[in-house]
Parts: sequence; structure tokens; C-alpha cells
Amino acid sequence: MLRRLVFPRLVDLVLVVLGVSVVAFLMIRLIPGDAVAIMLGANSEVTPQALSELRERIGLDQPFLVQYLRWAFAALHGDFGTSLWTGRPVAEEILANIWPTLELTFLALAIGAGCAVPFGCLMASRRGRGTDIALRIGTVLGLTIPSFWLGIVLILAASRLLPGFASLGYVPFAENPLGNLARMAMPAFALALPILAGLSRLIRSAMLDALGQDYIRTARAKGAPERVILYKHALRNALIPFVTYLGISAGYLLGGAIVVEEVFAIPGLGRLILGAISERNYPLVQASILMVTVGFVVLNFAIDVIYVVIDPRLRR
Amino acid sequence: MPVDLRCAAFIALATLVSAHGMSEKAIAQEATGAPLQLAIDSSPAGLDPHIVTAFNSVAIVSGTIYEGLTAIDKDLQVVPGLAESWSISPDGLIYTFKLRPGVTFHDGTPLAADDVVSSLRRVQSKEVASPLASRLVALSEALAVDPLDVELKLKEPSAPLLAALAGIAIVPRSMEANKEALQKTPIGTGPFKFEAWQPNGFILLSRNLHYREAGKPKLAGLKFNIVPEAATRAVGLESGQYELLPQVDAATALELKEKPGIKLSQTLELSDTVIGLNVARPPFADARVREAVNYALDRQAIIDAALFGAGVPAGPLSPVLKSWARPVADFPCYRHDPQKARALLEEAGIAKGTKLVLRVLASRQDIKDIAQVVQAELGEVGIGVELANEETGQFVQDWRNGNFDLFASANAGGVDPDEFLYRTFHTGGSTNVFRYSDATVDHDLEEARRLSDRTERKAIYDRLQMQLACSGPIVAIAYGTLFSAARAELKGYEIMANRSLVSLRDASLSP
Amino acid sequence: MKLPHDRVLTFATVLVAAEVALALFAPWVAPYDPLSQSIVARLKGPNAMHLLGTDQLGRDVLARILFGMRSTLLDCVLAVGFALSIGGAIGVAAAFLRGWFERLAMRVMDVIFAFPVMLLAIGIIAVLGPRATSSTIAIAIIYTPIFARLLRGPALVICEAEYVAAARAIGASPWAILIRHVLPNLASVILVQTSLALSSAILVEASLSFLGLGAQPPMPSLGLMLAEGRNFLALAPWSAVFAGFAILLIAFGFNLVGDALRDRLDPRLAKA
Repeated sequence: MLRRLVFPRLVDLVLVVLGVSVVAFLMIRLIPGDAVAIMLGANSEVTPQALSELRERIGLDQPFLVQYLRWAFAALHGDFGTSLWTGRPVAEEILANIWPTLELTFLALAIGAGCAVPFGCLMASRRGRGTDIALRIGTVLGLTIPSFWLGIVLILAASRLLPGFASLGYVPFAENPLGNLARMAMPAFALALPILAGLSRLIRSAMLDALGQDYIRTARAKGAPERVILYKHALRNALIPFVTYLGISAGYLLGGAIVVEEVFAIPGLGRLILGAISERNYPLVQASILMVTVGFVVLNFAIDVIYVVIDPRLRR
Repeated sequence: MPVDLRCAAFIALATLVSAHGMSEKAIAQEATGAPLQLAIDSSPAGLDPHIVTAFNSVAIVSGTIYEGLTAIDKDLQVVPGLAESWSISPDGLIYTFKLRPGVTFHDGTPLAADDVVSSLRRVQSKEVASPLASRLVALSEALAVDPLDVELKLKEPSAPLLAALAGIAIVPRSMEANKEALQKTPIGTGPFKFEAWQPNGFILLSRNLHYREAGKPKLAGLKFNIVPEAATRAVGLESGQYELLPQVDAATALELKEKPGIKLSQTLELSDTVIGLNVARPPFADARVREAVNYALDRQAIIDAALFGAGVPAGPLSPVLKSWARPVADFPCYRHDPQKARALLEEAGIAKGTKLVLRVLASRQDIKDIAQVVQAELGEVGIGVELANEETGQFVQDWRNGNFDLFASANAGGVDPDEFLYRTFHTGGSTNVFRYSDATVDHDLEEARRLSDRTERKAIYDRLQMQLACSGPIVAIAYGTLFSAARAELKGYEIMANRSLVSLRDASLSP
Repeated sequence: MKLPHDRVLTFATVLVAAEVALALFAPWVAPYDPLSQSIVARLKGPNAMHLLGTDQLGRDVLARILFGMRSTLLDCVLAVGFALSIGGAIGVAAAFLRGWFERLAMRVMDVIFAFPVMLLAIGIIAVLGPRATSSTIAIAIIYTPIFARLLRGPALVICEAEYVAAARAIGASPWAILIRHVLPNLASVILVQTSLALSSAILVEASLSFLGLGAQPPMPSLGLMLAEGRNFLALAPWSAVFAGFAILLIAFGFNLVGDALRDRLDPRLAKA
């Protein structure tokens, strides 16, 4: 029975990944000005003939369809090609940039989710009172502070308040755990803020929703302590939207932390892809976008499947 | 409250961590093995010295990892590099270079004449498609006479050759046919050797223990941290995390000037910001219209607004080239005179309200600001201009195809005037995207290239500058001031007009 | 309902109305032409002539902020409106028709949704060329799958409801069912989600123009003012600070409206 539920979703997943690969492939090629033109730069002194030779060598003279099929076939065999600029294998370049992103994503989600639960509970239990209103306005602010602005403000503030605080760039955790955490603290906080705000609002609504349900009334009528009602019954109602939100945020963070990565000089995936787009580094853009989106789709697929397993009501 | 507890615990953790981070940093500084920490704005596109042309890539590899036969000193004069001396035949067609003995590449192989020959061949080869190839057009053949003597045979005399050779890195002969290896793992003869490159993170170079000059370099290495945000670089320098920012914009320089423990150095730059005019299209085909643009612009106002006052107006050649450049007072059209501009436009029969498109290289803030002021000032005299801010890829394509009315961009100048003038203004020149063609200019450019006498060349370039300044296809706006900011502990670093970091060879860190 | 959170709604509505009015009437309210430069009066702090100071080219910061708000709001309303009509239509149609249409349409939406927001926007703008209309189109495309997914769920519930089944049974035409039963019941979801989407679209627009991919100089744009102003933050902070504050204020207003509306309109929340 599980197979009947999971299988169609798996087919959908493959279709979506296929669609994504086509879109990523076409998008980067539709951008005016190709890799060769950019590689040669504004002050180069190269003849049109040299240009077309270079184009030919990279394979840019082939029709899109041929280029796509070649690439897709190689990718299926685990070969994502080499970076047009550095000549290094694309997989190597992505690997070099993936750890900071994974770590930032994990920290931001952990901080966001960790602080959101108590905030959400507090807001739900004090609905309509001063604490609730203050926290709600606070969460709206958290959601609407532009992250690029927050990043710069944090850096300038830290330089005034903690002079000599080495907070920029990235060192691997294994090399220097404390230095790593010191450098990750501010960017993780900047990324966590909107997640924290969004999640606590979500928990609040889900709990309020539950508090209005009959089973809670029954529990109350039976004299269950308010704390048990709040944390055990009402909070559980928030579980599914909570996990969904986390899944979507994780996908967003995997490729979307561009501005924060720039401000804190962190060599992550967002900057890698942005740089690759502006250099028209086709193999790198294709592979990294594919990886980020596949990560996102698979993660959300897994979450979907888990729901179905946990909650029989979703098996329609 | 659980909320406060968790967040408070986190803040406590962060503070704790920061304290530790500091002490560790201090320890690292004590040890002599720490490299100099530099912060630069963007990743290089690659490290092959014959392929990359972007400023940031060149600055990382040139003079640090790689050296040429000749070198450029801080006064922009040609001095010996890997060649300790050279002689030129009386007809100017044969150059003989004597290499320094005992130079080795970073991989341990000794430098020999064959390496020089194969490096020059590599630049000229179709396979490598080096953008530097045009600097060697005059070269017909290079010969290794014996292990330390190289002979270059030219098709015609070429005055700029010695300066051009400074920009051509000598690489091991095994690389001649290899197009990929040097892009990621450079091997040269310079004072620093390549260690590691983390894309978007850093590039690490270490001291070359077998450098040809004993006792140099003094620095244990160079770590180029890639930090895109200017504010972040400035904060990192203040906190001591970075020790040298090779390039600082004028606004940040003003801010850092006041800070204790930071040393600011400056020089006028070799490259300039320009407005290009397409002479193949109607309004600017007329020389009077080009002259009118010059009168319409208030260069000092543009410098004040876009460069925070840090720069000087200048003609076709940078004032840094003291022995070549003419003072701007010589150019009548550099006077801000909208009246005159309107008169010239009327004379040329240009209708009021002409609509033109100005393509702007949008990757640079100073150029975007210059374009905005230029738009306003041209509007004053009745030339309506619409700005099209273009990302580098698009811009280069339009630029190369001559698809523009006007453009705003930057021009890299050369140490020898021929380098920039010939390719830009000669009919069919490789960067003559304006389709400018003038018989006397062509003749003068060819003549100046052939002459070896400096005074005779100077006379020709003086004439050319007069003609090109007012009616040429390029309206030179300003040569900006370059700033570097360093911790006071860094001694011996000197900023150079061509943005070269070669002086780090002689620099040291002393508290 | 006389609950304290009504005050939040009132406050938010007044805030948004004021912002919209300022933006709409910018040409009449602004003290100066936002494009007129005065190099001698550059980087002046707030003073009697220029209430919020001047920028690096001597343009009035207040005028530029008002016009920037105007263009931001206009672009975002257009983009979100487009996304709502296309995405919403797809979502509702999917719920109403089910079958292969639902599967196909929702998979297409999934493909778009799988891209990280900023990357997709950057890619689309790179293809179309950086200008205000490109960023509007990019935002519209980004929000289309979001609306499709958001509206499909509630639309499914409504389509399965007994009264819709009854209407079907008595032979009401599909259009009649849609217009009479489905859409009115979706109104509150649409209202809430549109104001929330507007709020986040404003931030996306600001980030895009911060990266130089939205409205182009010399046109006034809040994100761009922030981006340019951060280069001389220590010398003349006002243009960046006020522009950042303006972005925050409009995004905040719409978000608060959405939040308060949801609190009020959601029948399930109201019961507690």
C-alpha cells in the first residue's frame, strides 16, 4: 500500500528534476553574451576567428538540443564536466563551497526552530494580551528586516562593540571549531531571524487553531493541566506545518543566502552560483542549480512521505 | 522563561567563542609562519598568466608568482627582470636577452632559454588563444642561442616591445601545449609560490625559498581573502583580521584615514574612465559633435561627484606617464563651455532632443555615477541620453560588436603609449570598437612604433594627443586616485599605478 | 468582535494607506525633482532645505525615497497581481478539474518552486536584461507557483464540500459553481495571502535592486539607494539609513495587515 502512495510521488519527483534541468540549462544559455565573450574581457585583443575557435572547443557552436543531451547523458554517469574558467572538475568546485552552506543552513534552522517554539507557545498562551501583541509586531519586524541591511548593520555593530573580533570569512569546523563558530554566529543569526519569526507565527496560529478544537475542550473539561494541554496537544497540531516550513526554508537557504554570504565573505553555494552566472560558466551553473534544486525536491519529497506514513488522514 | 534562556545561552556561547577566536588569532600572529592577510573584492577567473586579463587576476599572479624577461618598477620604467641585460641590433630587428643564472621554477626545474622561447610561442599559439598575442605581433621568431641567451627576431622595429615583455610571464616549457594546468596550479619563478585556492574563499601563496634574490621575500606568504563587500573589508582591516587592502575606494579611504594603526597610500592610476562615441553612427560621425561633447562636460564636477574628488581630468594618456602625457591645459575643449557646445551642435545640424543610448558598465559604481552626471550635463546642451546599465557579459558583447551610440567604461592604459593608442585608434585596431579611421592618425601611430628615439616618438605622440583629445572617439573623463590601506606593521609595500603588487617581494611585517 | 488585535489591524491599515497615498501622490508631495542634481550640494545632512539630506550627486533624498516607494509599490502590486491571477487560476482549476490537468499543472509549478527565489530571479533578469520591468516579471514568475499551491489546498476543500456536491447534483454549470461557491469562500485566503506576498515581494524587489538588478540609475529605487549609500556609510549615512527604513516600513505595513487579517478572518483561529 505504501508503494502505491510513494511510487507516483517518485515519478513526479523525477519529472520535476528533469524539468528543472531543462530550465536551468536553457536559462543560462538565453542570457546575452556567452562565456567566450566574457572570458576575453573588455580589454582583450583577440580576433573574431580566435573567438569562434574557442567557442568550438567548448562546444558552444552545437545546437542547444545536442548540447543538452550531451550534458544530461554525462551527468547521468556522474560526470558534470569541468569549469570553463578554472578547468577544475565542477563536482570539486561545488564540494569546496558546499560545507559552509550546509553548516549555515543547519545553524540557521536550529536557531530559528529552537527559539520559535517557546516564542510561539508564549504568543498562543497570551493571545490578545500585551506580550502577544509585542511579540507579533516583533515577528513581523523579523520577517521584514531586509537581510542585506541586517548583515551590514551587524558587521558594523560588531566592529564597534567587539573590536578585534575575527568574524569574517570561513574556517572549517574541523580545523578550528571555535573560530568556525565565531565566524558563523552573525550570518547564522541574520539568516535565522526571518525563520524564527515565520515559525513562531506559524506555531501560534496552529496552536490557536487546536485550542479551538473539541478535543482540547474535552481535555480541559477532564481537568488536564493547562501546561499539558498547551504543550502536548496544541503544540502537536503545529508539527506538520512546522516541518513543512523547515523544509522550504532549508531549500531557500541552500541557494538563497547570496547576500549574507557576500557581506560576511563566506564561500558558499549562493556566491558560487551567482559568480558562475555572471561568468557564464555553463557547466558549473547547470550542475550547482541542479544540485540545489534536487536537494530541495528530495527533502520535501521525504517530508511528504513521512507525513503520509505518520498521518493516515493524508492518504486520500 | 525558556525562550530567553535559550537565546541568552546562545549569546553567551557566541561571546565565549569570540574571546577564544581572538586569543587564537594572536597566537597565530606570534608565529612567524603566518602569511600576510590581504582582502580583495572578487575571485580571479583563473591563474594562467597568458589567459587571464582581469585586473584582479593579473594582480594576484603578476610579479608575485610569475616574472617576465623585463619588469616595470614603481616609476613605470622598464627594468631587468629574468633577463639581467639585453642588447638591440642597430636596425632594431634583433633583441638579445641574457638570462640570470641560477633561477629555478617553483617545481624545481632550472630556468633556461628554452623556457623563454616556449613561453613566447605559447602566447602566440592559436590553441592557447592568448589575449596577449597582439603584444607580440612584431615578433617573428624566438631562438635559444645557448642555455642563458635568447634572441628575438622582429618583422619590423617595435618600440613598445620591452614594456610588453614585462607582462608576458615565463612558464616552464612543459606547459607550452597545456592549456588547463596553469589555470588552477600556476608555476612560475616569482618570490611566492602557489599553495591552495578555495573558490570564493581565498588563494594562498607561500614564500619561494629558492627565490633568485637571497633573503627575499621576507613575508612567509600571501593569503588573498576574497571579500566582496567594501564595508566588510574595511571592518576586517580595522579589527586586524586583514593586513592589506590593495584597493580601497575613495569613500572608504576617507573613512580609514582617521583610524589609528592604519596606513593609507595613494597614487594616480594608469587607467582612466571614459565615454566612448561610435563614429560609425550619425551624430558622432561628425567631429564637431564629438568636440561638443567635450565642451559640454564639466570634468571637475564629475570627479567631485563620482570619485569623491579623488582623481584628475586628463587626456588620452595618463599623467602618470610623466614623460609622455601632455598637460590638460593644452586641450582647448577641456574647458566646460555649454554655450560653445550648443553652438557646435547647431553648426553640425543636430536637432534638439536627439535621443541616444549610453551603455554603462554597471559592475563599477564610479562608472554608474559618472554616467548619471554625464547624462545630466549632455541634457543641458540638448543631447538626450538614456542610460542602459549593462552587466559585464552583455556590455562586452555590445562593446565588441560596436553596438552602441555612447558607452561609459574604463580603459586600461599601458606603460608604453603605443600599447593603448595603437590598438584603440588605428584603423582596424583590436579594440577600435568605435570604427574610428583617420589616415594621419594611422600614419603617426605606425611611425611612432617604428622609431626608437624617444624625443622623436614624443613629438608624434604630442601631435596625436592633441588630435585625439578633442575629436577622437574617446572622451577621457578622469584618472582616478588609487588607494591602498594597510596595517601600520606592514613595511616596504608600495602602491603602484598599474595596480601591481610586485613590491610585496620587498615587504615585511614588523610590530 | 471587540478584541485588542483589532487595534493592530487598524494601525496596520492606516500605516499602509498612508504609505500608498504618499507613493501615489509622490509627484505632488515630493519637494524636488528626484533626478535633478546639484554637485555642490552633495552629501549634505538633513537640513531645512533637504529634510532627509542629499545623496552623492546632490539629489534630494526625500524626493528619491518617495519616488522609490512609488516604483517599488507599483512594480510589486503589478507582479503580485499577475502572480495571483495566473497562479491562483491554475491552483483553483487544478482543484476543480483534478485528473491529468492537476498533475501536469502542479508539476510545472513544482519545477518553478524548486528554484531558490533569488537565484531564479537573478537568472530571469539576466536573460531579460537588468531593468525595472524585468524584476517585475521575475517577481511575478516567482510568486505564481506560490499562489497556485496556496490556493489549491483551500479550493480542494471547498470543491469537496457538500454544498458544492449538491450544486453539482442539481446540474449547476461549472462556471456558476466557481463564481457562486468557490471564489467567495476563497476571498479571505486571497486577501491574507496577497498582503503577505506583497510584503515579501517588496523585500525581494529591494534585494534585487540592491544587487543592481532592479530599477536602474538614474531612476530612484530604494534598494539601489541602500546599495549606493553603503559605500559611504560612515561619511553620509542618511541616504542608506532612510532608504532602508522606508523598505522596512512598507514591507512591515503589508505584513502586519496580512497577519492581522488572518487572525481576524480565519474562523478556526477565532474560536479560541
